[in-house]
Amino acid sequence: MADLDPVGAAKAEAEKPRPFGTGYKLIGKDYSTNDLVAKVTGRSKYAEDFRAEGMLFCRLVLSPMPHARVKRINAEKALAMPGVRGILTPDEVPGHADYVNDNGTRIRADRWGELALADEPMYQGEPILAVAAVDELTCAEAIERIEIEMEPLPFATDPLESLRPGSANAREDGNVWVQEGRQEPQLAVLKWTNEDFAAEKEGKLPMGHAPEEWSFGDVDAGFKNAALVLDETFLTPDVSHQCLEPRTTMARWENGKLFLYTGTQSTMQTVPAIARWMHMDEDKIVFISEYTGGGFGSKITGALTLVIPALLSRKLNAPVMMRVSREEEHFIGRARPGIRARTKVGFAKDGRVTAVDMFLVSDAGSYGSNGDGGACGQITSLLYQPPAMRWRNVTVATNTPPRSAQSAPGGMQAIAIMEPILAKAARQLGVDQVALRRVNCPEGKAEFGPPNHEGQRGHATSCFLKQALDLGAEQFKWNERVARRPRQMGTKVRGVGVSLSTFHGGSSGFDGLIVITPEGRVQIQSGVGNLGTEALIDVHRAAAEVLDVPWEVCDIVWGDTSKHLPYTCHSGGSQTIHAMTRAGHAVGLECVQRLKEVAAKKLGGQPDDYVIANQRVARKGGGAGLSFAEAAQQAIRLGGIYDGHDVNPEVNKVTKTSVAALAGQGLVASARDNYSHEGDSFSFLACFAEVEADVETGKYYITDYLAYADVGTVIHPAALGGQVLGRSTLGIGHAIGQKWVIDPQYGVTVAERFYQNRPPTILDVPVDMKWNALNIPDPETPVGARGCGEPPVGGGCAAILNALADALGDNIFQRAPVNADTILTSYEAGRPMQNPLLAHI
Amino acid sequence: MAVIRDVMPAFELLQPGSAADAQRLLEQNGEAAWVMAGGMDSFDWLKDRIKKPRVLVDLSGVDELRGVRVTSDGVEIGAMTTLTEIANHAEIKKNYGVLAEAVSLVASPQIRNQGTLGGNVSQDVRCWYYRGGWPCYRAGGNICYADTPVGRNREHAIFGGDRCIAVHPSDSVPALIALDAKFVVQSAKGERVIDAEDFYIGPQDDITHINILKPGDLLTAIRIPATFAGARFYFEKVRDRNVWDFPLMNVASAMKLSGNNIDQIRIAVNAVSPRPMRLKNVEDAVRGKPATPETGEMAGKLAIEGAKPLQFNAYKIPLMRNLVKRSITGVREATWTS
Amino acid sequence: MPEMDDPRQSEGAQRKVTRRQFILGVIAGGAVVSAASYRLLAPGHGRLSSANWSERLISINVNGKARRVEAMKQETLAWTLRYKLGLTGTKLGCDRAECGACTVLLDDVPHYSCSVLTHTVRNKKVTTIEGLAAADGKLHPVQQAVVDQQGFQCAFCMSGFIMATVGYLKQNPNPTRAELAHGISGNLCRCQDYSKILDSMMRGAEYTRNGFPAERRA
Repeated sequence: MADLDPVGAAKAEAEKPRPFGTGYKLIGKDYSTNDLVAKVTGRSKYAEDFRAEGMLFCRLVLSPMPHARVKRINAEKALAMPGVRGILTPDEVPGHADYVNDNGTRIRADRWGELALADEPMYQGEPILAVAAVDELTCAEAIERIEIEMEPLPFATDPLESLRPGSANAREDGNVWVQEGRQEPQLAVLKWTNEDFAAEKEGKLPMGHAPEEWSFGDVDAGFKNAALVLDETFLTPDVSHQCLEPRTTMARWENGKLFLYTGTQSTMQTVPAIARWMHMDEDKIVFISEYTGGGFGSKITGALTLVIPALLSRKLNAPVMMRVSREEEHFIGRARPGIRARTKVGFAKDGRVTAVDMFLVSDAGSYGSNGDGGACGQITSLLYQPPAMRWRNVTVATNTPPRSAQSAPGGMQAIAIMEPILAKAARQLGVDQVALRRVNCPEGKAEFGPPNHEGQRGHATSCFLKQALDLGAEQFKWNERVARRPRQMGTKVRGVGVSLSTFHGGSSGFDGLIVITPEGRVQIQSGVGNLGTEALIDVHRAAAEVLDVPWEVCDIVWGDTSKHLPYTCHSGGSQTIHAMTRAGHAVGLECVQRLKEVAAKKLGGQPDDYVIANQRVARKGGGAGLSFAEAAQQAIRLGGIYDGHDVNPEVNKVTKTSVAALAGQGLVASARDNYSHEGDSFSFLACFAEVEADVETGKYYITDYLAYADVGTVIHPAALGGQVLGRSTLGIGHAIGQKWVIDPQYGVTVAERFYQNRPPTILDVPVDMKWNALNIPDPETPVGARGCGEPPVGGGCAAILNALADALGDNIFQRAPVNADTILTSYEAGRPMQNPLLAHI
Repeated sequence: MAVIRDVMPAFELLQPGSAADAQRLLEQNGEAAWVMAGGMDSFDWLKDRIKKPRVLVDLSGVDELRGVRVTSDGVEIGAMTTLTEIANHAEIKKNYGVLAEAVSLVASPQIRNQGTLGGNVSQDVRCWYYRGGWPCYRAGGNICYADTPVGRNREHAIFGGDRCIAVHPSDSVPALIALDAKFVVQSAKGERVIDAEDFYIGPQDDITHINILKPGDLLTAIRIPATFAGARFYFEKVRDRNVWDFPLMNVASAMKLSGNNIDQIRIAVNAVSPRPMRLKNVEDAVRGKPATPETGEMAGKLAIEGAKPLQFNAYKIPLMRNLVKRSITGVREATWTS
Repeated sequence: MPEMDDPRQSEGAQRKVTRRQFILGVIAGGAVVSAASYRLLAPGHGRLSSANWSERLISINVNGKARRVEAMKQETLAWTLRYKLGLTGTKLGCDRAECGACTVLLDDVPHYSCSVLTHTVRNKKVTTIEGLAAADGKLHPVQQAVVDQQGFQCAFCMSGFIMATVGYLKQNPNPTRAELAHGISGNLCRCQDYSKILDSMMRGAEYTRNGFPAERRA
């Protein structure tokens, strides 16, 4: 096209995939992260690897009942044993109190909130007592000498049962969480009528009153004009995070300061959490978390139970190690809430969604409400761009272990719920699966959610998912696989599935902090947690890129709050790559500016007369200059803003404190990410899978998998690949086997062990999984990078579900996971035989 | 008494160097002794603190109980031979492949490196209520928690339940039954040799014991006669995860043919009943018939006669039917090339 | 009512409490719901075992050195390594032989050290992650491959995976990717980084066979 306008041409160029690392020296290139050698040699220290002189051990006593009141504890015999040093009871744990958050907002004490030890346990497995002794054997024998008298209270483990007339509530004051406006959710009683429950006879999710609802567009018209309307009931499983490192914690006190060692996703953000739980000042806490054995949303700010060794240590005046067992981790380690959904979707002839009516019953577990139901609606509205949608949600409290965010909270469930409906529609309409996703695919500044009070809908910063879908289909050889015959050989049948996927991909407004040392090293202070995504280190490539320094001169300081780290985002919600490359970019520019000023002051001229290159700040076009080492020495001489004695007023108070502590150590630069962005950041993927199932045994294997990502600029390809396939597999686990099993008569978990609740093994996924990424920069963030810790999860799950339905038909499953039992009974009967309404089977 | 897990109770550790010493120590300590082979089942009981034996007799130092010996009539496998060693043993792979395959599908590589054949055949059931410490019938109580209208029994029995509906979880046992293996047990009274299927006890006979071993008994070896050496074998294990998991069901068969006619056959399935199940009625019905899909279909249907599904395990009926069918006809390997 | 009555049976039914039917916590009568039996453990011989805690001094060979250590009879090798010998590179992820984080080599064969009694390894050669690199700090080929390939995420499973790989490669030095996956299948990674782990370990196999590029040794 000869008459293409230049603006259009530039835009087309900007929206083209490009090889990783294009235009950069560090960004987009593979390298080995700075923590790897310590990891491979076993020198990396996780919480349980720390030791202290005179360290005691503590062990927990868990509630045997799903809901009860502790009436009496008699620990006399235990305390009389040699080696037993003390116990901690619920009344010694600080209660709920108001607190002030980052933004200065006062948050009211949550009277329904969780405490580290409970005198009214709300789930079987909740800690009610801790015992400290010289060793664990003594702890155990002491615990077996403790008499505990408990009064059983009514309980509910199945959210749907709790909505039935006359049923028990999880708590004495209610069974559902109701959120009005921007207030904190409140507990209320909600019971549906017997008429509401009539639908369950047809195997459909009953739809009684739902306290939460929004809608946009003309839903009725959408259905009226549809060529096909499907009305499906589906259940997603409760799945534990099962971090390989349990939330073990060691605590010691020294001169009135608490030194606490545990795993966290967010080093700097964990300090305020500890302060809140302990009712302490933040400056009395030193938090050490060099390595964390997995988080997935369950250790965003450490874990509440960390106060137990902290309190015991203070009480007994000795360091205390609380080693958390795998069984305890099952109970206190958090889980994704299962959601039961009834979803009506209208489709036009070409597969375009005309309307969605989504009704959800979410399981909140024993403490607090959760946002999964809400996110489920938001993500559905973004990923399939329905012109009209109604969303209703009931979040039910149950006496089951506490839930928390798990990679793509709500987003994963949305995709697992929606995708099988799209797959079924494509079959019924005779539309290719990829083509059907293509007509529904979000694009550009795609809108999502209901309009706000000003009638505005939110939108994404950018979305190039269509390109990922097309390139993915090509790489996966989708058309060839679809055309392949025969589909069945003997008892084996193959099927292919595709799924779209998305989740939030970033926040903004945090700080970067760099010291250029008198030796010329670039010391980057990292407040990110080291949970394994390597965002801890990768984000700082942005600052190094701006400073134009080789990575070898950069040192990353992390994992210990006494080392003066900056105000940093929570590492949850896939924020970090986005948020902290922005902060890194900002502080990189700040650093460059200060270097130029130092040079101008020393050598004359204006700062703008200088450029940065080869670890020097020098006059443009050659001439006088300073090495970074000389500039740092000069900065110390200058003092003030240059060496940290004064501080950039824009940064957070936490960063200011750290800058003050680092003052005089070199050129100290700090900056806040003030870059604007109009949209909300989301990352997107197109996921493809093939399965091979044996119709005589119900056993199936995933033979191939590809995830094609739209995550903006790729920062570190190997780490990104790990995120894309790792979190895909986290989603796949929900499709192929992970679940909770609870006996509802006793309210007790029976599947506590890995061999019973089944996290995927290396032989449960294809031996050669594939990933790719567009590497198109996001236009609303300086480096163009977004997070990808969560967006793949839903696509991983749903691609498998869709491939199974392709192989075996639409009448196999109405719940996940899908296993041999699901497949065999339904395949024989020709209709889904596993009840989609029953929880925890 | 509050409960604590994952701390092993203290015990006296006895480490005999010979089978005779081991047997004598077991005799001396009677009910107070716990026998440990590879420990893969024992450690769970101990770490759960449900079993607190006064004395633990560790057999790991008894070298004479280790190894595979080719005899004049088959092979003799020492009870302490690891599953890895059996899976890799040339003679077993060549002539008794059904056993090599069965043990290669047990749990995980590390467990097979340590777990022994004696331990695998002697392991306890894995009903999650029983192993969780609930005082069920098998634990000496008077209730079954799995067999209630809402009990979680996806992995439980469709045959042979009698108050207890736990299933036997071993992968090696069906292969051993199919091979007509004999278990050699030493006691103070001397040596007893027991047919593999007679080693096990159903709940109707003794609900708290899974096998015939009594205090003072030591399982020393498993003998496999040459009867089915090099015969046509079939083994299949269906499980959820491809590592670690116990079988949802497994099947083993050994078959000798004249032409395509079945001359001799033994078939066993596990994880369907509290006792490993030999399918004598099926064997009788197919003997003399051709090894065809029709015979397989008939065998499968016959195998599930009398099966009683529970609320969550009805899939085990078609699964057993199909696995038994395949144990006669085999299964066609699918070979997509792209 | 300390019995473990089946709640479906009549309230009045009197039952004899057997010795095995111990109750966890005394369950109060008159409660709103049936006081069903919760985790009523059958406590075996029901005794407390304080009498037998004594540690015994033994010698075990760890990473090529004879180490004298006081170990309890019921002490696992993982515990001895981590808490007595300071070798914390061996991790405890489950303590139940179902995650592999504690994998060490006994006479070159991978074992779960959480499920081995220390007293049973007196005649064996124990190798842990700390024993792989050379005395001069040069990494083992499998370690170097992980560094070069950016393998693993949180790495809590890493030392177990590396030990399992080193052990497996002694049996099969030139595996296919599928064979290697089977060989190291007794190790769980919750970051589910299996693909990148296999990339790393295949490279580790190659380095073990052929040595690794000299320029990477630094």
